Amino acid sequence: MADIDTSASGAAGGKHSGGPRAKKMSTRVDLTPMVDLAFLLISFFMLTTTLNKPKAMELNMPKKVEDEELKQEVGDCQVLNILLDTLDQVWYYEGLKVAGLQKTTFAGDEGIRKVIMNMMKKVPKECPKVRKWEDKNGDKQKQENEFYMGDRDAIVLIKMLKGARYKNMVDILDEMDITDCKIYAIQDPDPIEVEAVMNGGVVKEFAKE
Amino acid sequence: MPKVKPKRSNPVIDMTAMCDVSFLLLTFFILTAKFKPQSVVAVDVPTARSTVTPDNMVVIILNKEGKAFVSLKEKSTRYAMLEQLAEKYGEKYPMITDLSPNQKEFFALTDTWGTPVEDTKRVLSMDGVQFKEYQEKEMPGIPYDSLRNQLADWVQAARYATEGKIRIAIKADKNVNVEHVRQLIKRLTEKDIHRFLLITTLAGGASAESEEAKKEN
Repeated sequence: MADIDTSASGAAGGKHSGGPRAKKMSTRVDLTPMVDLAFLLISFFMLTTTLNKPKAMELNMPKKVEDEELKQEVGDCQVLNILLDTLDQVWYYEGLKVAGLQKTTFAGDEGIRKVIMNMMKKVPKECPKVRKWEDKNGDKQKQENEFYMGDRDAIVLIKMLKGARYKNMVDILDEMDITDCKIYAIQDPDPIEVEAVMNGGVVKEFAKE
Repeated sequence: MPKVKPKRSNPVIDMTAMCDVSFLLLTFFILTAKFKPQSVVAVDVPTARSTVTPDNMVVIILNKEGKAFVSLKEKSTRYAMLEQLAEKYGEKYPMITDLSPNQKEFFALTDTWGTPVEDTKRVLSMDGVQFKEYQEKEMPGIPYDSLRNQLADWVQAARYATEGKIRIAIKADKNVNVEHVRQLIKRLTEKDIHRFLLITTLAGGASAESEEAKKEN
């Protein structure tokens, strides 16, 4: 009773049966918050690593087709011309002749998307059918019974004026994908078309605003 | 009769094992994650909704001024690309046929390359500080006009290096003049490359687009 407890910590001792024991501390630590934190970090790392992958859009340019019979004739009624100018505006007209240019934008459903959608609905209904070839047995040989008269599809010709921004090119290609328009081509604009866009009053109107 | 008390079990679960596992996973993810390489060429990529996620590709970077750079992810592929360029186009570019192993190693360590072939040897002989300065200030880009179509040769070399198992991606700035992009595509289609990937980012939704449209009006 009188002697002093010399052991370093009371908890470790316990040989002294009679002495006043130091309170035994629990060695257990609650690890739940630690686990929480660890999982939080894991999810953070997983999300950031996968989200960092680059996204891309496919662009297939046409090869030169030598075979004349594979080329389909293009009807005046199935063509939609889209012109992109330097002021991020979109001009469009139907047909092969430059006439009746109209201005629109990329904004949402009301812009160029609606124009393309309407065209795609209209063309198979209103245009005369065209002679088509489908490789039925997959031998790439053109047999007479493989030709048939089929509906025309809308053809979109994308023409970018010099000085247009690349962003607009991506936007219009994106619209092609969204509207599921399969036949489109990127072309150089005609001088007549360039002039038409320039004389469309766009530049002056823009300056007034 | 006294009710039988159900034996109360201790609700405390030992979290040690769970903690071990989670930290193991954490370390794994931290170690496997690769940092986004700091790109030397600043490019603001356009947004689009329709996207694919490619993995193996040679990226042609086109910055605001229309300068072109070639970028490959894997060091070994970069090394092979240089070897292939020297091998297949050695007659056209005699100046890169006798590069030292050190210079080749230097090339393989460079993520983004934008030097005309004629200048390659000089640039590869620079030290780190000089090269950094060169990259930041005066990297001229790889020529891709009709007379000096070196970019297409680089791309072909990259295709040889991977036995054709590589896709060609174009990472262009959204404000670059579309003429540069057309020119680039034209030069590549001349070499019978017809399929491209255009690197984009996911759109921030319709709101961002309409906001931009408002600004423009």
